[in-house]
Amino acid sequence: MTLSEKPPVLSLSNIVSGYRELTVLKGISFDVAAGAFVTVVGPNGHGKSTLLKTISGLVPLKQGSIGINGSPAPGQPHAIAALGVAHVPQGDMLFPEMSVLENLLMGAYLAPSRAEIDRRLDEVYTLLPKLADRRHQIASSLSGGERRMAGIGRGLMMGGEILLIDEPSLGLAPLVIEQVYGVIAELSRSGRTILLVEENPARVADLADHLHLLDDGEIVWSGPPAELLARDELLATYLGG
Amino acid sequence: MLDILTSIIIAGLTTGALYALATVGLSLVWGSMGMLNMAHAAMLTLGGYAAFSLSSALGLPAVVGFAGAVLAGAIAGGLLYVFIVRNLLNNDKATFESNVMIATVGIGIALENAILLTFGGQPLKQPISATGSLIIGPVNLPYQNMLIVIVVIALMALVALLLARTRIGRAIRATAQNREAAQLMGVAVNRVYFQVLVLSGALAGVCGVMVSSMTQLSPPLGNDPMLKAFIMCVVAGLGNLPGAVAAAFGLALLEAFVQYAAGARWGFPSLLFVVIAVLIWRPAGLFGRAQIRRM
Amino acid sequence: MTTSLRPMSVSGSARLDLLVSLALVGAAVALPFMVDSRYVLGQVVLALFYATIASQWNLLFGFSGIFSLAQMAIFAFGGYATAMICFYFGWNVWAALFPGALAAVVFSLIVGLACLRLTGVYVALLTLAIAQTMYLLIVTDTECFVMVGSICRQLTGGAVGFARFGDLGTREFLKGQWLVGNYAIVATLFAVTMIATYIIVKSPIGLAFKALKDNPGYAVARGVNRFQAQLLVFGISAFFTGLAGGFYAAHFQAIGPGILSMSQLMFIIAIAVVGGVGTFWGPLVGTIVLVAADELMREAGEFRTLGLGLIIALSIVLMPKGLVGRLGDLVRWLRRRSGAAGRSKLRESTATAGE
Repeated sequence: MTLSEKPPVLSLSNIVSGYRELTVLKGISFDVAAGAFVTVVGPNGHGKSTLLKTISGLVPLKQGSIGINGSPAPGQPHAIAALGVAHVPQGDMLFPEMSVLENLLMGAYLAPSRAEIDRRLDEVYTLLPKLADRRHQIASSLSGGERRMAGIGRGLMMGGEILLIDEPSLGLAPLVIEQVYGVIAELSRSGRTILLVEENPARVADLADHLHLLDDGEIVWSGPPAELLARDELLATYLGG
Repeated sequence: MLDILTSIIIAGLTTGALYALATVGLSLVWGSMGMLNMAHAAMLTLGGYAAFSLSSALGLPAVVGFAGAVLAGAIAGGLLYVFIVRNLLNNDKATFESNVMIATVGIGIALENAILLTFGGQPLKQPISATGSLIIGPVNLPYQNMLIVIVVIALMALVALLLARTRIGRAIRATAQNREAAQLMGVAVNRVYFQVLVLSGALAGVCGVMVSSMTQLSPPLGNDPMLKAFIMCVVAGLGNLPGAVAAAFGLALLEAFVQYAAGARWGFPSLLFVVIAVLIWRPAGLFGRAQIRRM
Repeated sequence: MTTSLRPMSVSGSARLDLLVSLALVGAAVALPFMVDSRYVLGQVVLALFYATIASQWNLLFGFSGIFSLAQMAIFAFGGYATAMICFYFGWNVWAALFPGALAAVVFSLIVGLACLRLTGVYVALLTLAIAQTMYLLIVTDTECFVMVGSICRQLTGGAVGFARFGDLGTREFLKGQWLVGNYAIVATLFAVTMIATYIIVKSPIGLAFKALKDNPGYAVARGVNRFQAQLLVFGISAFFTGLAGGFYAAHFQAIGPGILSMSQLMFIIAIAVVGGVGTFWGPLVGTIVLVAADELMREAGEFRTLGLGLIIALSIVLMPKGLVGRLGDLVRWLRRRSGAAGRSKLRESTATAGE
């Protein structure tokens, strides 16, 4: 952790992507250093989720390149997952008819051994004790907050060092949002690299090292969170005040 | 009266077991990849003829014939994936559904015809079958029927275990429940599709041996069970495995009763009537997930 | 960019459609003078029936998104209804054709009410089951309805079907040239069907389907009722399909359950698929190609069905938009190649992005 020149674990250069004829991202470039907490903010429908999906391979790249730990990213999502990129998708996307435990085990689908799976399970249950209580409950019967925790837990079960987290606050009550961000802060402190997408910059003000403002598929501003929050004209233009 | 009733029930349970085996193969493929495999019937037939060739023509023991049927079905399923399904997967969902259906109809017809050209159209006797029956008081239980029910139950338990307990099974279920999420977890979805088609083909192979042991081998052998299995899948809600098995037994019993009471020709129409009634009442089937399957 | 291009290409394709139609009418008129083989002309008449049925299936599936496998059942219903009216009531065939087609419409609306609220594959499976039930009920019908001489005749004609209930009257008028007369009648039926199909595709309801296909949510929000629109098209298509069934029965002076077989349905689907699902000329192109292939495979005799099955599967995999779609790709590619040279780079890139 104390290496002086760490290469970026994630580097995006000029990526263009979208769905069939529709282009959503129009040339995005930035790097994420090891252990960093980077956030992309912007209004809904301007490509935040598409950005994460492009990195994890769910949305195909049209142009540009993505580097993971210094080498070019493979094209297929399962190969990208194997490199330690854990994508916690928007709306959790749990396996609705599986129990919490089975969802967590799916997270460890690529884990090398039974012992490693148990180690990760312990880790997740320690961080998110609620999941241990609910382990035999069917995922579709969880509350919104529990579902978010299960989604994060499943991402952690992948054992990856790079976490892509998509709008963890979406649809949750303020108190639960606080809990979720508490967990995310914990993960950041443990040394994991986090790329998080959020609509509201105030939520990540104390957490993120760096912030990118995404508008209509392009990055229009980059800098520390505090600086953005001080710029009323940016907030008014891009985030509606 | 009692012996008529028991023979109807025995016939219903036996055909129910056969339909259940066919529905599991179909439902597995639909549930995990949204594909209606219209070539399932021909794969069934292929299994029946594979067992026949090994046992009757080559004189090998029944177990080898049975294994041959499983293998032939599995290989057919694998080839179907490699040559057809894989190339259609980049279509959007609705186009894939119809295209794969049309393509597999073509493959099914071609396969059925290839069997016709190889073995001829005359009915053949399936050597892998049991004779005699167990007589308990007034009840006459043919060994063949018992064998079918036992084999089907054993296979179903095996499939259930595979899906519930193994890593492959969990990946199949994950893909069925949320394909994108499964990919994010590192599941190579294409490999899952391949595995599912191989598994479904193997089940079709067994089913073909069983069906032909009740009747006779002929190239259109699989068509009738497949069409009925489709109806049962629809009644249960496509992709719902336990529901499909329940529907298979329920509808087979109904069919047996109708055939006895009103004549053989009303068996299929009665199934059609049930499926239409169910779909009017519940458009996604009895146990279907309306929010997922409907547009 | 795309919106400004679209009207131009529509009027362009309309002109092309008109030119193709005129050429086809010319060829259709010339054909009986060029061909004196009775066999060939007979096959052409049969091909025209196939093209008519396939065009109506294409209207359902390609344009309206109804994946119906009851197409041959509706065709058979029209044919049977016409034959039965003539057989039991002694009507002239020409008088029975329209009621026969109406009967097919009524049948289709019942099928439609049962199926069309469902989606995609459920429609396919249910219509297939309905067609199969109809086949089974006809084939297994053994109960005597009337006695014709000493022969028992079932209500539905049973496994044998109906024969000698009248014809189109061409034998009486044209004597030896009756086949040319039938050819003219069936060719006219095909032409009328194609014109009607064209009108439907270009009508508001056709546009509604295009909207439903491109963006279902938006179309529903704009008040397009999918179920009603599909039921309407289902009925219209059943009219022409049933009418073709009546003409088919009259042309061959016979109708039996054989036309309900899976291989007949497959041939129709193969025609649409090979020609190009959702393209106007696809069914005609598919008919020409497949009937020709069928004639060639007749030499190979027993491999005919095998070949047909493989053709269906391969054309879906290799050319999902069929021959017409492939031709369209080729034309667009040539146009872009010749057009790109003189234009600026920017324009070229927007054109490719709009594809």
